[in-house]
Amino acid sequence: MADLLSYKKILITGAAGRLARLSLSLLLQRCPRLKVIGVDSRPLSPPEGLSKKEAQRLSLFQVSYTRGPFESLFRDHHFDAVLHLGRMSHTQADPLSLSQRLDLNLMGTNKILDLCLKNKIHKLLVLSTYHVYGALNDNPVFIAEEAPLRASIKYPELRDVVEMDQICTNWMWKNQNHIETLVLRPCSIIGPQMANTMTRYLKAPYAPVPVDFNPSFQFVHEEDMAHVLIEALEKLPLGVFNVASDETISLREAKIRVGQPAIPTPLSLVSPMAGLVERLWGFPRYLFDYLKFSCIVSNEALKTQLPELKFSHSIHDSLDELREVETG
Amino acid sequence: MVKTKFLIDEPGCNFVEIGVFPCSVGAMLKPAERLKSFVWSALSLTGRDRRRLETVYDQLDQAYPEGHDAWGLDLQRAKTTLEWLYPIYRRYFRVRCFGQENIPDGPCIVISNHSGQIAIDAALISVAFALEAKPPRILRPMMDRFVSAIPFVGTWAQEGGAVLGDRQNCINLLNKGQSVLVFPEGLKGITKSPKDFYRLQKFTQGFYRMALATGIPIVPLAVVGAEEFYPFVYHARSAASRLGLPALPITPHLLPLPSPVDIWIGPPITPKTSLNPESPDKEVDAEVLELENLIKEMLQKGLEQRRPFWAIS
Repeated sequence: MADLLSYKKILITGAAGRLARLSLSLLLQRCPRLKVIGVDSRPLSPPEGLSKKEAQRLSLFQVSYTRGPFESLFRDHHFDAVLHLGRMSHTQADPLSLSQRLDLNLMGTNKILDLCLKNKIHKLLVLSTYHVYGALNDNPVFIAEEAPLRASIKYPELRDVVEMDQICTNWMWKNQNHIETLVLRPCSIIGPQMANTMTRYLKAPYAPVPVDFNPSFQFVHEEDMAHVLIEALEKLPLGVFNVASDETISLREAKIRVGQPAIPTPLSLVSPMAGLVERLWGFPRYLFDYLKFSCIVSNEALKTQLPELKFSHSIHDSLDELREVETG
Repeated sequence: MVKTKFLIDEPGCNFVEIGVFPCSVGAMLKPAERLKSFVWSALSLTGRDRRRLETVYDQLDQAYPEGHDAWGLDLQRAKTTLEWLYPIYRRYFRVRCFGQENIPDGPCIVISNHSGQIAIDAALISVAFALEAKPPRILRPMMDRFVSAIPFVGTWAQEGGAVLGDRQNCINLLNKGQSVLVFPEGLKGITKSPKDFYRLQKFTQGFYRMALATGIPIVPLAVVGAEEFYPFVYHARSAASRLGLPALPITPHLLPLPSPVDIWIGPPITPKTSLNPESPDKEVDAEVLELENLIKEMLQKGLEQRRPFWAIS
C-alpha cells in the first residue's frame, strides 16, 4: 500500500459521472501535487468549487475506452493508480441496444485492465455494485463478498454487470503479483448530485411502492462513497469489498422520509407488466425484484481493513437531503 | 338480559374473566348468535390484556430502540400482530406455558416439534416468548424460503420477526444477540398425516451446527395440542409436486379447531465443547439424536398432562 501523497498521476474513468467528479475534487484537495486525468465517452466539464491551482492539476478528455487515444493517455502519462468508475447503467443506455453497454462495460473494462498491466500501474480500483448478488427471496442478510453472483440468473440484461465484476476479480487474483487491484461493491449510492436509478426512484413523485413487499435497504451518501474511494485507494489491500454502513431502512420508510407522493402497488400483479413499465417510465425490469427482496451486504471485511472509517451521513440524513433537494 | 361469563386459568393467577357479553334469553337459543358473541369476545382485548401488553411493549421498546432491523423486523407492526394474536393465544387456543424460567436472559436457539399443518405453532411460541420470557423478546422463527416469496405473507412474517431459514443468516442474527426458533423436523414435521401425529420426524443438524458456531445454548421446547388443529387432513403429495408446492394439505375446515395448547420449555443445553461446526456428521448426529429424544420425552410428559379438547380451562 502506498501513501496517497506519493502518487503523482491518477486516471479516473467515467469522469463525467457525479461520483467521479466528487472523487476527483477530493483527490485534488487532499493531494497538493497530484495530477488527475479524467476520461469519459460523454462530454466533460470540470467540477465546480475547484480553486485555480486545483483546476490546473486536472485534465479532462472525452475518449472511448476502446479507442486509440485512450491507449495513448497511458503511454503519455505514467499513472500511479487508476480509478475505474466508468460503468454504464441500464438507464443510461438505450434499453433496446445492448451493444453500447457491452462495449463500455465489458470491452472497455478489458482494455483498461490490459493497459494497466502493460503500463505497470501500481493500483487499480474498480467500482462494481451490490446488484451483482441479485435480489432473491433466499438471500441471507449480510451477503459476504464470497457469495455467488446470482444477479443474472433471472435477468440476462444484468449479465454485463456480473461479468464485468467477474472479469475484474479473476484478473485481480491472476495478476496479484504485478498490480494491486480492488473491487468495491457499494450498496445503493444516493445523494443530491446522483442520477442513478435508485436515487431517481426515491425522488420520483408517484413512483410505485410495493404494498405486498417491504425489503430492507442500505444506502450510502455520495460524499461518503467518494471518501471511501479515496480511503480505499490509500489503505485497502488487494481484494473485493462490499461498501455499506451498519444502518438499514425499509423501502416504505425510505419513500416516506423522502416525502414524495407514492402509488401503493401490489408488485406481484404489476411484475408481469414490467416490460411495459420499463418502456413507459424507464424503470428497469430487474429493479422490480430489488423492490421485493432485500439484498443486504456485509461490511465486515471493510470494517476490518478500515476500522477508523466513519460514514458522516446517516441513512436518515441522506434521505432528508434528497427531500430538501426536491422541495427546494 | 343475562350476562354470560367464560372463565379460563392464566399462569400466575387463578381465574380471570375472559369475556362478558350481554345476550337475551332469546338470543341464547340461537347457536349462531352465541357463536358470534363468543368469537367476538374471544378476539377482543380486555383492559387487563391491554395493561399487560403495554408492560411488554415498554420492555420491547427498550430492547429494540431502533424499531427495525436488517432482517425486516418492524417493531410497530410486530406489536400490532401481537395484539391480534394475544386473544387467540389466550382464549381460542387457551395456551398454557410451562418452564418459562428456563429461558436464558441472552440469545438462544429454541428447537421445537412442528405440528398443525400451517405454522400456527410458530406464532404461538413467539407470543409465549413475548409474553412469558423475562425479559420479553421477539423470537425469530426460521421460515422456509418459499414463504418469503409469497406476497403480503412473507413481508408480514418478516415484519413480525420471522427470518429466512438459512444457516449463515441465522448465525448473523444470533451474533446480534437475537434468539431464533428452529423446527429441526422441517416441512416433514408440519405436513404429517393423522396416523403420524406426535411422532417426531428425524431432526436435521443445522441448528446444532449453528450452536457450535456461536456457542449459544439450545432451548428444547415441546408443543402439545397443535396436531389437533386439523385432525382430518389428507396430503395431496403428487398434486403438490406438480404445482411446485412444498405441501398441499386438504381439510374439511379452513379454520383450525380450538384445541388447547400446552408449551413446555426445557432447561437450556450448551453445545458440546469437544465438537466444532465442521465436526463429522456422525458425531453431531449423536448429539442431535439426544435432543430429539429429549423433546420426545417432553412431548410424552405433555400428552399425559394435557387437557381434554373441550376444556374451558
